[in-house]
Amino acid sequence: MARGRLAALIAAALIGSAACTSAPGATTAAGCTVGVSWNNYQQPRWAKADEPAMKTAIEAGGGKYIRTDAQDKEDQQLSDIDSLINQGAKVLIVLAKDNKAILPAIEKAKAANIPVISYDRLIEDASTFYITFDNEGVGTLMAEEILKAVPSGNYVVIKGHKADPNADFLRGGMDKAGLKAKVDSGDIKIVFEDYTDTWRTEAAQENMETALAQSNNDVDAVLSENDSMAIGVVAALDKVGLAGTVPVSGQDGDEANLNNVAKGLQLVDVWKDAFALGETAGAAAIQLCTGTKLADITAPSTLKDHVKPEAGNKAQPFTTPNGTTVQSIVLKPTPITAANLDIPISLNWITKEKACAGAKPDVAACK
Amino acid sequence: MADVPAAFPQQARRRGGLLDLAQATEVDLRLFGMVVALLAIVVGFGVATGGRYLEPANLVTLSVQTAAVAIIATGMVLVIVSRNIDLSVGSIVGVVAMSYALLMTDILPGVLGLGHPLMWVVALALGLGIGGFIGGVQGFIIAYVGVPSFIVTLGGLLILRGLVWVLSSGASVAGLDPTFQLLGGGPTGSIGGPASWTVGIGICIGIVTLIAYNRRQRRKFGFPLRPMWAEILITGIGCAVTLGLVYIANSYLWPAPLANRYAEAHGIPIPEGGLRIESGIPWPLVAVLVVTVVMSFIATRRRFGRSVFAIGGNPEAAELAGINTRWTIMKTFILMGVLCGLSAAIASARLNGATLDVGVGYELYVIAAAVIGGTSFAGGIGTIPGAVLGALVMQSLAYGLSFIGLSSPIQNIAAGIVLILAVGFDSYNRRRAS
Repeated sequence: MARGRLAALIAAALIGSAACTSAPGATTAAGCTVGVSWNNYQQPRWAKADEPAMKTAIEAGGGKYIRTDAQDKEDQQLSDIDSLINQGAKVLIVLAKDNKAILPAIEKAKAANIPVISYDRLIEDASTFYITFDNEGVGTLMAEEILKAVPSGNYVVIKGHKADPNADFLRGGMDKAGLKAKVDSGDIKIVFEDYTDTWRTEAAQENMETALAQSNNDVDAVLSENDSMAIGVVAALDKVGLAGTVPVSGQDGDEANLNNVAKGLQLVDVWKDAFALGETAGAAAIQLCTGTKLADITAPSTLKDHVKPEAGNKAQPFTTPNGTTVQSIVLKPTPITAANLDIPISLNWITKEKACAGAKPDVAACK
Repeated sequence: MADVPAAFPQQARRRGGLLDLAQATEVDLRLFGMVVALLAIVVGFGVATGGRYLEPANLVTLSVQTAAVAIIATGMVLVIVSRNIDLSVGSIVGVVAMSYALLMTDILPGVLGLGHPLMWVVALALGLGIGGFIGGVQGFIIAYVGVPSFIVTLGGLLILRGLVWVLSSGASVAGLDPTFQLLGGGPTGSIGGPASWTVGIGICIGIVTLIAYNRRQRRKFGFPLRPMWAEILITGIGCAVTLGLVYIANSYLWPAPLANRYAEAHGIPIPEGGLRIESGIPWPLVAVLVVTVVMSFIATRRRFGRSVFAIGGNPEAAELAGINTRWTIMKTFILMGVLCGLSAAIASARLNGATLDVGVGYELYVIAAAVIGGTSFAGGIGTIPGAVLGALVMQSLAYGLSFIGLSSPIQNIAAGIVLILAVGFDSYNRRRAS
């Protein structure tokens, strides 16, 4: 009895889903349907900042916004992109889970003459348009701030997930900021450096505890590649009374970390204005819909100074690690310290209450 | 001695020094093997690092890192012994940790007022309650509805991890009640020098009492006695180890920044070389100790514990013998939830808040700890102290590898190899014995 009902339910679900994917895509009168394939929509940043900005820019240009969420699975993302193409997307924006596993879907899009924007994460294909933040630049900016505060001494480097290329991009950027030169000259000694499994906070805390115990608490600065790890680092420092005296870096502009910046527990938080990234991608999608060539795409003129691309508003060629050249717009990350905490507050990334709870008295943005 | 009735004659065969010793002291060879392995790891890394691994700071730090997993592992023993599994422990820890953070930053200050002295008690009670409730729901579906525990707890893992995000709207939450933070360990989260000695001496007296009581009970019911020298040896080693560990804990002094802050706050002049404050046993380790003793007691001396082992050994026979198997199974999952709540308190106190990924991956470490400690997936076999030792073995290995600079992927490989070796060795021995 129950089995018969279950079979009927499954059959209905299959028929229903088949109907959805086989129907011819309906396009609006304006004709520009933009399909967005998110990788892991559950992470706060995408829903909070990238998506609303993207959607606003697309609809302002007369387009229609549709989306899917791959829930952090590569094969799911392939069928998601199929589904977006079937729903009539004229342009695709793809936040790739894995930049190689995504290639079959890119081939399908090429075959259907659908331009693809690779959003934030690189896709190794010359026909895609790469819109991102300068990830190596993030590493450079965080190291610059820390080096300013601690030009010589014992450093700890807490890196991200080993299989995530960003971890090495960031580390390379740190070297470019002058870290390598100082290590070579002996001014700076890296007493501990290791990757952290899946960027986990507790794993970073354990790494930091090992670093402290191993060097007898003689640590002068910590380079943490992102904010969630920075929370673990600050907790480990706090247990031995060094929180607030040993500068820590971070990335992502998470609320708890911006608050730590105001409290003096974290020195710098490199923030990527995801509103600007979404807006740029939405505007680029509309341009592609109206037939603009890849090399002629421009970033919106409304981009603020803290995020405007270094090279100007026009698309620039970008050489990937594999040697391919893609057209790209690379936005500037913004290092947030106690001095410029007003930027994310004024852009509604974080409320003043949350940023300033327990802030040190000399933080300008909190007065 | 004429007044000692021996119901069974003592074994007359002598098989050679070490085995003879093991037989006389009736030590559990499995547990003993684990202690040897732990010693091998610690001494091995001590040698590899020129003795630095053995410094009190390192040994204390790695023990505190073990606490969260060890506490849950004691409960996992009962779950695995009764032929079930709980994959949701990491997510339960995540939900309860986020609940603690939200309670102490948002909700309770409104109800009780900021800085209320009992806030930590209320928060802890609520957290344990939430954990127990989640465990109860899962236990009910497993025991009374009959869905396999693998499936239910797998669903729990996914649902609860999503719930963490919903509770916090995707942000991490920072700041806990100061008394609650003591559960996070560190020099300020420890009980101090004098209290540690008191605890150590108390444990020593406990060991002596237990051995003496055990001997008296055996004599009363006519069971063979251990040789007196064996009893004294066990007592002596037990006390020595306990007091040795207390000595190590007390050798971990407060770092200069903390000690100076304390001196200034209390108007104490700072002597040459800094104020010397002994940290003592960290609160998380006190929690592990209490949990281990209580859980061992439940497992071996309470009807609930014996029912769990009976169900694991032969579920049909247990049912026919009149054991309420369904209620017993549900209770094991409720207990798991409560232990996860306690572990979450330690995890969030360590972080002074909660992030979205607290507890991720715990289930694998917990199961590995229980299994390395001798719990069999076939059911019916397992010990609580074994699980705690298993957790300690894994963490000391991971800590050591990190210490000598081997990167985290290699640590994962090592942990996997240790797990397979430990279980393989145990299975091989069992097969050889039977």
